[in-house]
Amino acid sequence: MTQAKLVFDPFSEDFFNGAYETYRRMRDEAPVYYSDEHDFYALTRHEDVAPAFKDFDTYSSKYGVDLHSIRSGLPSDAGARMIIFMDPPEHRNMRSLLNKVFTPRAIQAQSENATHKIEKYLSRVDRDGFDAVQEFTAPFPVEVITAMLGVPEDEAQQVRHWIDESLHREIGQVEMGEQALHAGAETAMFYFDLVQKRRADPQDDLFTKLIEAEIEREDGEKDKLDDLEIAAFATLLGAAGAETVTKLVGNAVYLFAKNPDQWQKLREDRSKVPAAVEELLRYEAPSQYNVRRSMCDVHLHGTTIPEGSPVFLIGGSANRDERAWTDADAFDIDRDRTEAQNLGLGYGIHSCLGAALARLESTIALEKLLDFMPRFEVDFDNCTRVQMQNVVGWKNVPVKVLK
Amino acid sequence: MTQKIEVDFGLCESNGICMGIIPEVFDLDDQDYLHVLHDEVTPENEERIRESVRQCPRQAISIREE
Repeated sequence: MTQAKLVFDPFSEDFFNGAYETYRRMRDEAPVYYSDEHDFYALTRHEDVAPAFKDFDTYSSKYGVDLHSIRSGLPSDAGARMIIFMDPPEHRNMRSLLNKVFTPRAIQAQSENATHKIEKYLSRVDRDGFDAVQEFTAPFPVEVITAMLGVPEDEAQQVRHWIDESLHREIGQVEMGEQALHAGAETAMFYFDLVQKRRADPQDDLFTKLIEAEIEREDGEKDKLDDLEIAAFATLLGAAGAETVTKLVGNAVYLFAKNPDQWQKLREDRSKVPAAVEELLRYEAPSQYNVRRSMCDVHLHGTTIPEGSPVFLIGGSANRDERAWTDADAFDIDRDRTEAQNLGLGYGIHSCLGAALARLESTIALEKLLDFMPRFEVDFDNCTRVQMQNVVGWKNVPVKVLK
Repeated sequence: MTQKIEVDFGLCESNGICMGIIPEVFDLDDQDYLHVLHDEVTPENEERIRESVRQCPRQAISIREE
């Protein structure tokens, strides 16, 4: 029997379902993969992906970080300047505006609020049958991040629905659809309006911080972010802070149901919860890839990636690379974490700004779940996946708590 | 020839991974600023310092040969 042609399509059901078998074949058969359908390259081995994340001179973010933007060939600083579309030195200036808010120590201040939100939603669900994603992992993270931003609590869930719509993709759909564009515009207007309010009435929140911040431009001049730039920054932080934890904790419920021995280990020793969060980030990171633009011809594994190509850096594959990890496909919270760099939160200058917040929320959520459902079962037949731009995860995970 | 630790404080974001690996060398103060308590790489600490270099999500740590 001949093997099927190797196809990695980030807009396919295969991707949305977690394309780990495809990644394995890519690592083995085509470490520099080329898609003739979509005209992009992809790196999948840990030894290639990790250095590429670090090498911003070769792999630029300036042309966007999704396939559609990079193919347009335009630097994305044509519109509002956003941090994920920046290379140094602009990136460093922009990042320094907020990075002190997101250090592990600073983020401890969010612990009480996060615990409160987590308990609020967990207390509302029906133990005999609830949807772990829709009723729990989706509603709480958005409230934590939007509270930090300064969004009124009663508007947080609306923000979440806009995020879901703006990231949603139908199978085969590369660009944003009409509904996604509409949701994006609604979000921008909503934040724009909030910026105006904070200008008039400053508060102790991130909107106010961004309004007051000064940023050093390329020419050394200092000036402030304009309202559109702040709205864009808020859109990014809101989406990054909400979607990812939703997916990670949703994945946790599913994966621990599939691997009850691992859940048992956590029940016996709560000190393993942080290690479990790291393993979840490795095993199935919500953000599977980032796309960069090659700024010169890249020679790798006997192939040349021409300058100007979109290159997928698939951290989701590198994290399952059997060359880097022992039993890479085993979900094992006790694994040796020093074997390789976990790329679940990215790596290098664009590594996740909110990493400490993601870890904090996920750790608290797992601890509360251990209290709430020491024994549980998942209706695997009725679990469904989301279909989204660059993120994988569950849309529905039906759970029943066992006596 | 000696080896010394170098930290790029423009990159460091006080994630504290290094402090978790080898607290007698890396320390975060109350202001969240990183301090290198001993900058010399010795046979005793070399392995853990190299681990810190590798695990730093910001790649802010390097080892310089003198």
